[in-house]
Amino acid sequence: MIADEATYARLMAAAQKGDKSAYNVLLSETGMWLERYFRRRVPPHHLEDLVQDVLLALHAKRATYDTARPFLPWLAAIARYRWVDHLRKVYKHESEMLEDDHAIEDSHEDVVEARVSLERLFVQLPKKQAEAIELVKIEGCSIIEAAEKTGQSESSVKVNIHRGLKKLATLIERAE
Amino acid sequence: MIAGLADGLEPVRAFTSRDGFAMLGIASLAVVAIVHLTKGIWFEGITGQASPFFYVTNGLILLLGLASAATVVHMASPWVGNQHEAPVWASAMVGVLPVTALLSVFSHGSWAEVLVDDHAAACVAASIASAFCVGGALVFWLRRGAPVSLNLAGWFTGLAAGALGNSFYGITCSVDVIAHQGIWHVVPVIASAVIGRLVVPGLVRW
Repeated sequence: MIADEATYARLMAAAQKGDKSAYNVLLSETGMWLERYFRRRVPPHHLEDLVQDVLLALHAKRATYDTARPFLPWLAAIARYRWVDHLRKVYKHESEMLEDDHAIEDSHEDVVEARVSLERLFVQLPKKQAEAIELVKIEGCSIIEAAEKTGQSESSVKVNIHRGLKKLATLIERAE
Repeated sequence: MIAGLADGLEPVRAFTSRDGFAMLGIASLAVVAIVHLTKGIWFEGITGQASPFFYVTNGLILLLGLASAATVVHMASPWVGNQHEAPVWASAMVGVLPVTALLSVFSHGSWAEVLVDDHAAACVAASIASAFCVGGALVFWLRRGAPVSLNLAGWFTGLAAGALGNSFYGITCSVDVIAHQGIWHVVPVIASAVIGRLVVPGLVRW
């Protein structure tokens, strides 16, 4: 089942009242939505951990959802918050290139999802900062590799990553 | 994991902005009561007998406090699309006050009026003390919620606390000249904003 916005909102309202079966469905659907949401901005081997992290955050902060407002922008704000935290971590392991065919799924995003997407967030960064974060934090390149690919110095790559992550942290609730 | 979370589900009371405003209202009343009991409200001020600067300064600072506090209350419920512009514009408006005060002092050559102000330290200290009470309530609210723009939450909490704290204290201050009101009633707002930015993010991170 692929839930729509109204279904998510209805399931969440029921879950706040303690409906366990509604909550089970909500978490399953939300998990699939989050996998699509993160797919192009997280290495595949981190995807499951990040999705679980967001689901746990959703569970802990479920009282903050206002049933008078749409569900997906609330979920996306939490997902972005956890995503930026995730990017801050240093990981030292082999990278896997993101597969091209994931782009096909994203072409079916509806208007709501496009508005809260990570792409919308990422494009607000200056090009050099976005490039540095993409290469090092998402594709798993080393600083040296990223410097070679971008033509920036190694210290510039580090500075751009630091500034870019700081800027992302201030843009989490930005929709435009 | 999903099955475990669903099995352990407990109902929660979804909190709304109304709860946040109610909590802020209670904290504000407490501060006003303490201020009145310790210093006493300046009745000439609230009966229209003060200078225009008294009303303009306290009015602008109060509006800044309300705009910032409303923003902080809404920040407890994260949402892509939340706008946070009101406190920025209100801060710009309040910024006119110290500029006016300094221009006035400069044009009259009366720097001593500003630098040697016997009431300055007391006003600043009392305003910041009031700000801590208001700020504590806002931090408590944010910790219950899920703020996702932590640095902004820090700035706006400090602004709200400083501005509201100064407003509640300001009704006791009988020094109603622009040189005093425009500088020594704005300094605590700036100081609170900086303290908020430095301290609050660490307190509300989740």
